[in-house]
Amino acid sequence: MQVTFKIWRQEGPKDKGAIRAYEVDGLTEDMSFLEALDHLNELLVLKDEKVIAFEYDCREGICGQCGVFINGRAHGPHDNMTTCQLHMRSFKDGDTIVVEPWRAASFPVIKDLIVDRSAFDRIIEQGAFISAKTGTAPEANAIPIPKEVSDRAMDAAACIGCGACVATCKNSSAALFTSAKINHLNGLPQGHAEEHKRVAEMTYQMEIEGFGSCTFTGACEVECPEGISIINIAEMNARVTKSKVLG
Amino acid sequence: MAINQLFFRKTIIAGTGLFLCIFLVVHLSANCILLLPEETARGLYNSYSTTLRESPLIKIVAYLLYLSIILHVVYALLITIRNRKAKPQKYVMNSSKENSTWTSQNMGLIGTMILLFIVVHLANFWARIKLGMGEVVSLDAAGNVDVYEVTSSLFHNIYYVIFYTVLVIPLALHLHHGFKSAFKTLGFYHRKGLRIVAKIALVYAIIMGIGFGIIPFIVYLK
Repeated sequence: MQVTFKIWRQEGPKDKGAIRAYEVDGLTEDMSFLEALDHLNELLVLKDEKVIAFEYDCREGICGQCGVFINGRAHGPHDNMTTCQLHMRSFKDGDTIVVEPWRAASFPVIKDLIVDRSAFDRIIEQGAFISAKTGTAPEANAIPIPKEVSDRAMDAAACIGCGACVATCKNSSAALFTSAKINHLNGLPQGHAEEHKRVAEMTYQMEIEGFGSCTFTGACEVECPEGISIINIAEMNARVTKSKVLG
Repeated sequence: MAINQLFFRKTIIAGTGLFLCIFLVVHLSANCILLLPEETARGLYNSYSTTLRESPLIKIVAYLLYLSIILHVVYALLITIRNRKAKPQKYVMNSSKENSTWTSQNMGLIGTMILLFIVVHLANFWARIKLGMGEVVSLDAAGNVDVYEVTSSLFHNIYYVIFYTVLVIPLALHLHHGFKSAFKTLGFYHRKGLRIVAKIALVYAIIMGIGFGIIPFIVYLK
């Protein structure tokens, strides 16, 4: 299988960067997309050229490290999938594949396809935790939680923080990410004590990080590898109002 | 904690947007008078518009309406500026059609077209009738300002008919996305409820689009 990769190359944060084309032969349909990039990098090493920098860790769709814009879509042509789960069988022999880093003012490019997503970490630091004394884990049945409540919290907790929502959003809004983190904890009894503070501080951090506002295009929930629903954003909006009134 | 601009601005846009949605229902209902036979329509339409102009309650609503349009536009502009800043570099290739609707991606552009329409529409009616600009509007047999005549003569000009009809397309698109999104912005997150809201938004947008689009044509053919 032979494809032409058109890949964003950028030496560092201050470099302007540009798309460069690479014709790659010797790929197979069974290769994952990241393996195809590995293959290309091996060819570049043999030619004594600089390899393409891209992020990955688990390569099984859990960690949220990999994530690039492929042919105009976050994580490639399929809905609800990470980049590492994408395989070359999703492309045809002779295809041209355009690969770009996430684009957002809050996600500056570090090198090539790697962006700095520490803005997410700073939102998390504002309250995506519960303040509790550590020690032995409490008895599981001590706090009864209805099944549907725990299901909703688990659905929100599934967010892996890959940043596809911000990348695909025309406004670079981090609303889906932040709402998932807020609703995950605020929906559960353990999170109630700090709910208003959490909402106020996490959404405030989201704002000062320079993310845009949500205009409900719905692109984020289509690209989200965990299929986190956009309804989480509506719920966060309700929580913001509630925290303003009661917080 | 400082005021949360991201939410505050969107709440203003959603709130004013829904208020304008209600206004459009009243506006279209009144326009339906134009579909009646000529003399009945003239009498009813003129007495209706006189009642509106003379009612102090409607005066308050009218000022709320002006304010809503201004706030809706100003805050939309403010969030657009911020949103553009949040994505300074565009993608070389962007297949946004595969994950979202064209309308949702272009609300600003569509809104600008509607604003252009509102300017022309206000110049055609509001400026003539309320501000007394342009040709003097005559009185009808009952002594009311003959708003019907203004409407009827305008819609006997085919260019205006086409202009009014074509520009209901961006209106309908804007209403469809705006109506259902406003609920989410204002924090309505009931799953089934949102599905119903989405259906209402579609029906509402179709009724508004066809309603406002077809009346100028019918008046033209009268």
